[in-house]
Amino acid sequence: MGQTYHTSKRPDVNQAEMVGEAVRAALADAQLSIKEIEGVFFSNMETFEGIYLPDHGMAAEVGNFGKPGLKVCTGGTSGGSLVVEGFYMVASGLYDLALVIGFEKQDCGDTTAAITAAATPVWGKGATTGAIGEFAKAALSYMETSGAREEHAAMVRLKADQGACRNPYAHLKLGLKSVDEILKSGYLVWPLRLLDFCPQSCGACALIFASEKRAGKITKKPVWIADVEVVHQEPFRAGTFGDPTGKETYTQHVACERLYKRNGITNPRKDIDMAEIYEPSNWEEMSLYEHFHFCEKNEGWKMIEKGITEIEGEFPVNCSGGVLATNPIGATPVIRVAEAALQIRGDAGEHQVTKDVKTALASALGGPNWTVLTLLKRLL
Amino acid sequence: MVERVGIVAAGQTKYHPDRSDVNEEELAYEAIKQVLEATGLNLSDIDSAVSCSQDFWDGRTISDMNVQHVVGAHLGHEDKVAEDGINAVYLAMGHILSGHHDVVLVVTHMKESQGEKSLIENAAFDPVLMRPLGLDFLAAAALQAKRYMYKYGITAEQCAKVAVKNRSNARNNPFAQEPMDITVEDVLGSKILAYPIRLLDTKPISDGACAVILAREEKAKKLTPKPVWISGASNCYETHYLGDRDLADCDALVKAAKKAYNMAGIKNPLRQMDVAEISGEYSYQELLWMEGLGFCGCGEGGKLLDAGATKMGGKMPVNPSGGMLAGNPNGVGGMTRVAEAVLQLRGEAGDRQVPGARVALAHGVTGICGQHQCVMVLSNK
Amino acid sequence: MAGESSQKKAKKPTLEYIQVAFDTPRRYDWSTGKYLGKFYAEAKENGRIVGNRCPKCREIWLPPTPVCPKCKVDMGWDWVELPQTGTVTQYTYLVYPLWDPHYGEKWANPYPSGIIQLDDGTYYRHFLEETDKDKLRVGMRVQAVWKEDYDERGQGPNDILYFRTIEDQEVKR
Repeated sequence: MGQTYHTSKRPDVNQAEMVGEAVRAALADAQLSIKEIEGVFFSNMETFEGIYLPDHGMAAEVGNFGKPGLKVCTGGTSGGSLVVEGFYMVASGLYDLALVIGFEKQDCGDTTAAITAAATPVWGKGATTGAIGEFAKAALSYMETSGAREEHAAMVRLKADQGACRNPYAHLKLGLKSVDEILKSGYLVWPLRLLDFCPQSCGACALIFASEKRAGKITKKPVWIADVEVVHQEPFRAGTFGDPTGKETYTQHVACERLYKRNGITNPRKDIDMAEIYEPSNWEEMSLYEHFHFCEKNEGWKMIEKGITEIEGEFPVNCSGGVLATNPIGATPVIRVAEAALQIRGDAGEHQVTKDVKTALASALGGPNWTVLTLLKRLL
Repeated sequence: MVERVGIVAAGQTKYHPDRSDVNEEELAYEAIKQVLEATGLNLSDIDSAVSCSQDFWDGRTISDMNVQHVVGAHLGHEDKVAEDGINAVYLAMGHILSGHHDVVLVVTHMKESQGEKSLIENAAFDPVLMRPLGLDFLAAAALQAKRYMYKYGITAEQCAKVAVKNRSNARNNPFAQEPMDITVEDVLGSKILAYPIRLLDTKPISDGACAVILAREEKAKKLTPKPVWISGASNCYETHYLGDRDLADCDALVKAAKKAYNMAGIKNPLRQMDVAEISGEYSYQELLWMEGLGFCGCGEGGKLLDAGATKMGGKMPVNPSGGMLAGNPNGVGGMTRVAEAVLQLRGEAGDRQVPGARVALAHGVTGICGQHQCVMVLSNK
Repeated sequence: MAGESSQKKAKKPTLEYIQVAFDTPRRYDWSTGKYLGKFYAEAKENGRIVGNRCPKCREIWLPPTPVCPKCKVDMGWDWVELPQTGTVTQYTYLVYPLWDPHYGEKWANPYPSGIIQLDDGTYYRHFLEETDKDKLRVGMRVQAVWKEDYDERGQGPNDILYFRTIEDQEVKR
């Protein structure tokens, strides 16, 4: 795998060159040359950079010319869908060695405008407040129903920043010292503060997938994709991310229930060792603990309060800094998988979690609350 | 391949220059309804869906949000491919061969009438070096056409003959947008758009959708008495910058075709296949792509056409449906080729049927001057 | 040293970053289609909010849809007029201005937006009139306020300007 050093602006490279960095890093990690790669798959939201067909534009730099491949694009889950598609293409036997690349160079365009453009133009012009507004509404609901306080959200933010400061690839390394510091910062879209939401980053992440027979020959430490699950839903569910109706089904529930059942996971916190989840806001992270059954309903905030999800904790979550620190949208879900894989390999350096990681869960979130899950294991 | 992937149903809307009576989801649903009715399946019987639409053309980010409910993706699996629709069929094949899904719905939709073609296509070019030149796909194609004609002596008449053939074939196709009875003189007398491409050398603006359902072998046999098997498929990228390659060659297509043919056991395309549905927005492209597909040697596309090999009743009829020239939205065109090939192999192609067709080729192209090519070999054996 | 100081070093060209910016508006002509079109027509001509009802599960969908997302069946053409009053279940207000990329207009500032549960149970996302954030509460009762000028209508859901608070009715959750 390879990542770029994610940051907010990369004036020194264009989109193709930035992706090239990640690709070269991945090839170096696997000690392969681009010649051996059989197919290249991409994920990117083209409207964010205003480049139509970006996978075509970088054919020379990335080396996908002369090779099969294609691009998937499903919003925030693009990278997740990419991992799933790459997995299917290799599992199908059509490819033995595939390169999957997620990337986004958000300094090229106006991301919020582009996300707001995800709303259908013929319904509710203006009433969709971009992704941020939706998460703000969800955060409000969560505060009201679960008893979580702003302090808890701030604790999640602190954990993320501490992880980011230990992760050389992370984007936002703010050096936050305390919960109070966070509580003093300003609101962006009430009740979300500027710090409560993910940044717009430029970055790319590349993974190399190999079939079972090739993987063992390339590396001594392959990380296996045990299973994947994708669950979507149509837009306009009331309160897209936080359900005020009390009777909506969350895609997260459906996805993890299906995945857990197929893989014999009955107690997620014991059967899985850690998770890299896609949390666009710290409030959402607490909700996701509940959705993925890491804890009971309305108790997500207790997990952070007790330090369970810290690096040294019993069930570490997002010790790389997560999405709160780094969010090049097309790449983010791929980064979640890459980070989870690093933990399994024991190669995460300073942000390696204390316990031994044999099984990890990576999630992606996007669109109107779509979920993509990837289950990774050291041994199948 | 150990187990085969079958196409059990194919549906398409009648292509039309302006479907302002429907929005994207209703348009896609029209095609989806056809394949559901043909198989007797409900949306809840579908394991996963692959959609294909272009954010830039739909004018909204995450354009697959439009079609979630019409593909049955409420709490279900859906993915979106951002190339021509034929690649969505390829990806769906991967879904099934991986063992994770048994029945996959694929739908592609596009409303060219909604957006500004030139501006959207201009955004595909590299922003620093090529975009400021004001290129769009038409201008780039004109460059390719001129180069191709210069290198191999292809004439404007030969390109015009492609347009004449396809528009005439389209008269037998109830889905075609603009069947026409024209002559070579009509084409050569039509307005120049970007030299040497003339108005009748290209396709009209079009709106439409196309859907297919794929299933794994055992299931496919239960869903229809006439499954069509995908015996070979592959795609390939070309370089991006126009100056990096000789536009008169199509290496990417050669590679994609080779892989697809290997999978399908095709060594002599002209002899072993019975009909070809080839994509191409401009008339010269059909000649060029035929060379890439191995129907003839380099530069001999014109000769093959002149010999009558590609017309109805010839050795290898190309585009009995009229192809994209008779009106297909870009992005849907490649998948329409798959749908048409399926109809041919099921014997359901009506007046445009190639008698006794057993092996067909479907081809799709995305991007500038065919930068991304996809080839599929289908058979009904 | 003598030899070196008399040499003049040629100036190395410095690395310059080129930035290319495009500011091109792209025109799109979007269709509402049949189902949303019915909503638009009812809103414009009759000042009514309508949703369509699934023949199988009887759930009402807003915005109207051709296929019931849950049952996945064809919705047919069964329309229901919805109440214009409701209760706020979630809300948010923007602190910074946002541009609507589809229409190039500045919006959602200063109006807050919220999820309103209309009195029949259907949920609807729209603007709220109350701009004083201290007065915003979950449980507020609100009522739709329509655009008066007929010629300004035809915008579908945006024919409703916002939802106005009905002062003395608050629902305890």
